[in-house]
Amino acid sequence: MTAGTAPAVRLPGGEMLAWSDRPDEHADRPLAALAARLVPAGARVLLVGAHDPAVLDALAHARVTCLLRGYRDATAVTGRVDQVVVAGSAGLPADEQYDVVIAGVGLGAIESVEGPRLCWDELLARLAAALRPDGQLLLRVPNPLGLHRLVAGDAWYAGRADPEWTVDGVLDTGRPANLDQVRVRLATAGLRAGTCYAAYPRPDLTTALLATDQLSWRTTNALFDAVLHDACTSGFADRFVLADPARLAVDALHAGRAADLAPSWLVLARRTSASGSTPAPADMGEHVGADGLPVALVRLGEVGSTVVEVVDGPSGWHWHRPEPHARTEPHARTEPAPAPYAIRTAAHRDPAAPDGPVPDGRLLRSLLLDGCLRRDTPRLRHLLCGYADWLAGQADDGRLTGAVALAGAENLVVAGDRFAVLDPTWRADEPLPVDVVLARTLWRFSADLLTGGYAHPWTSTLDVAGLTVVLGGVAGRDLDRAVVEAAVETEAAVGATVRGLDADGPVRLAADLRAVTPTDPPPGPRSYQQLREAWLRQRDENTRLAAALRWTEELLASRERTLRLAEAKINLLSGTLGYKAARLAITPARLARRGARAATRRARAIVTRKERT
Amino acid sequence: MHHANHFYGHAHVLARYAGLGDGHPPRINGYVQHGWNIGDGLAPGHPYAERTPSLLWSEQTRRRAWSLGRRNVTVIGAPFGYLLAMRAADQSQPPRAGTIWYPFHGWEGQHVKGDHQELIARIRDTEPGPVTVCLYWHEHRMRRVRRRYEKAGFRVICHGYRGQWWRDTDPLFLDRQLAELRRHARVASNRLTSAIFYGIVAGCEPAVYGDPMALAGEDPTFGGTARIRRQWPELHGEQVHLPTAVEIAHAELGTDHRYPPAALRELLGWTQSPDRAQPQLEAA
Repeated sequence: MTAGTAPAVRLPGGEMLAWSDRPDEHADRPLAALAARLVPAGARVLLVGAHDPAVLDALAHARVTCLLRGYRDATAVTGRVDQVVVAGSAGLPADEQYDVVIAGVGLGAIESVEGPRLCWDELLARLAAALRPDGQLLLRVPNPLGLHRLVAGDAWYAGRADPEWTVDGVLDTGRPANLDQVRVRLATAGLRAGTCYAAYPRPDLTTALLATDQLSWRTTNALFDAVLHDACTSGFADRFVLADPARLAVDALHAGRAADLAPSWLVLARRTSASGSTPAPADMGEHVGADGLPVALVRLGEVGSTVVEVVDGPSGWHWHRPEPHARTEPHARTEPAPAPYAIRTAAHRDPAAPDGPVPDGRLLRSLLLDGCLRRDTPRLRHLLCGYADWLAGQADDGRLTGAVALAGAENLVVAGDRFAVLDPTWRADEPLPVDVVLARTLWRFSADLLTGGYAHPWTSTLDVAGLTVVLGGVAGRDLDRAVVEAAVETEAAVGATVRGLDADGPVRLAADLRAVTPTDPPPGPRSYQQLREAWLRQRDENTRLAAALRWTEELLASRERTLRLAEAKINLLSGTLGYKAARLAITPARLARRGARAATRRARAIVTRKERT
Repeated sequence: MHHANHFYGHAHVLARYAGLGDGHPPRINGYVQHGWNIGDGLAPGHPYAERTPSLLWSEQTRRRAWSLGRRNVTVIGAPFGYLLAMRAADQSQPPRAGTIWYPFHGWEGQHVKGDHQELIARIRDTEPGPVTVCLYWHEHRMRRVRRRYEKAGFRVICHGYRGQWWRDTDPLFLDRQLAELRRHARVASNRLTSAIFYGIVAGCEPAVYGDPMALAGEDPTFGGTARIRRQWPELHGEQVHLPTAVEIAHAELGTDHRYPPAALRELLGWTQSPDRAQPQLEAA
């Protein structure tokens, strides 16, 4: 971006004066990282639509023209780009060509309510025409059958929001509805599709970009499993949904359909010389790795966290952190905001992590869930014993340090009998006892299992701590509730550090964790299905307790009857001559015994007094 | 909860294993399967409080119980397995000799119909060494039956009274049975029963042969002896393949499903720590 005089905002007609697309500041950090990779210094870039400010920062080294439809959005980019055009699609400069065109919020973002309407293909053709030969287009395409629509509490076809002056849906054949259709239309526009990413968790929020070709065949990959689960859990937190989006995303991954269910796709396409030619079948296929781009770009942790990449190399996948350059990480924090108490924390973030190879295998959480659902206790025993042994094997004097001490089942990769930490970013500040580390992992898994409503092989009478102890037994360890309590304290301390809570944070968090019951719905998205399951669990528990109460009442009545009979028998016998004679005979003996005891007490008292004197 | 939890001192064995000592065991939150079973793990006719946990011996029984409509079913393994774990090192005994033979028995309300004399003849023809006949307490008290076996030259014993309605439960029933099993080289019966499986995991060679006898009022719901012979043919005969028998016995007794003491306390509803347990608590 060139410095100098503030660029003018061009208004060639078609602008929406009162409109703003108000992009979220942290809505598209992975896209920013991808843009920084794609755009060479000094390149001419057309940025189509209002983007996350991080994207603008990532393009600080390029000459950027920004095409918007809302006039109010122009103020946010003025001074940060070379040129701002507010006009919608009609205002695209006809005589200018660009090295890269980035339409990272989709073609709909430049559809103005003013002027004639253009169909999707016409918009694409205009952008294609704005590319120089061999120039690249990075295009976001929303998926009309994406995961966000499958779990949405509101019907997509109701369309009540301001941007929905027309409702875009799968019925509109003018828009591509799947990746194959996208590729065909790109080819028709003279563009050859290259690397394609599935963008999760929502069309308006991307925290993970995952290469679609890898998603389709690495169906049990631990990295994808963990990333999809985390992205969908945090991305839908506190939102009302029909079903757990994280479960659906991970299920789709295992079925090889995570790319098909992505809320949107980011497609990289290159302008070919023969514009408008019918694509050959080979051109419609993906070019795996041809662009040399990462297989994943992931925002780790909470809002504001850095984006890390996963790159495919000769020795397999490995973590790669973009250089801490202003253009890519303008607002990134490699450390969480220091906690106000900041005297003593339970964990710290390794600023260099994640680094090195990405372990290949399956995620321990998914393996354990699968074992629970199939009630495959031998498999569970094998997994948990293996995990417990792995922990013990790394312990020094019965204590663990580093990432191993904090990695839960959602961050552990299993390949055969080998275990590895997936993301070693967080590390324990102080060595933790092996049993506490094991119990913390099991407690977290137990809480997920119970509140998530998963079927499992154990009884409903177990609370979270009880199930933790039982899982410890499955792992061959005799953990008791005292160890579980220590694990909950550790979990609260680590959680408070990770979230940057104040001094009272661990105490409050520990109280919250102890209050979790099996009939609670899980934290995160407010899923109708999970709320209903929680209600069913409460109903079943009430049924059990009511039945037990009835049984106890019947038993009590039966025992009371037996007692009455026994008392009647005693009363009857106590009036007999034999009873009276026996009582007379026993009385002297009882009196003698009583006297002997009194004499013993007196003798002891005398001895004690003498000893004192 | 149920008095059947105390049969054969099962609750006592579990309490000892769980670290609660030799006192009266606390109330178990569920039904512990009290004998090898080809149904849902619960004795037919036992009153059942809906969704109260069934604490079963084997995974196969759990699956069957679920298919029969039971819920809240989990596998903890047989109490005998926990006794074995407690007395694993207790092996310093004289060399094994002879056969311990368990004639099939019903419970107090049932009567076995069959020819004991014919069974005695078959045992004599089959067993190579000295024979100990273990009678159910009910039959052991029948002088006529007991004398028949004694006259045949067999040593006749009884492991004890299983208990009923929390009364007269013999807490050492299984201990005595284990001690006897460890004295013998073979364990045999005319029906496949708990005792055969106990004997196998205690180190005896098993055999199941002879007239299985008829039980008055036997519940045919789960297929009876005919089904047992169909489903476990490997365990029937005067000689059986020992490795196969051992594998089946461990599966049926759920020895791999045993839990450590703390986990067992949780599963049985004994969540108080051992030092806070109430040994005098009225059991159910």
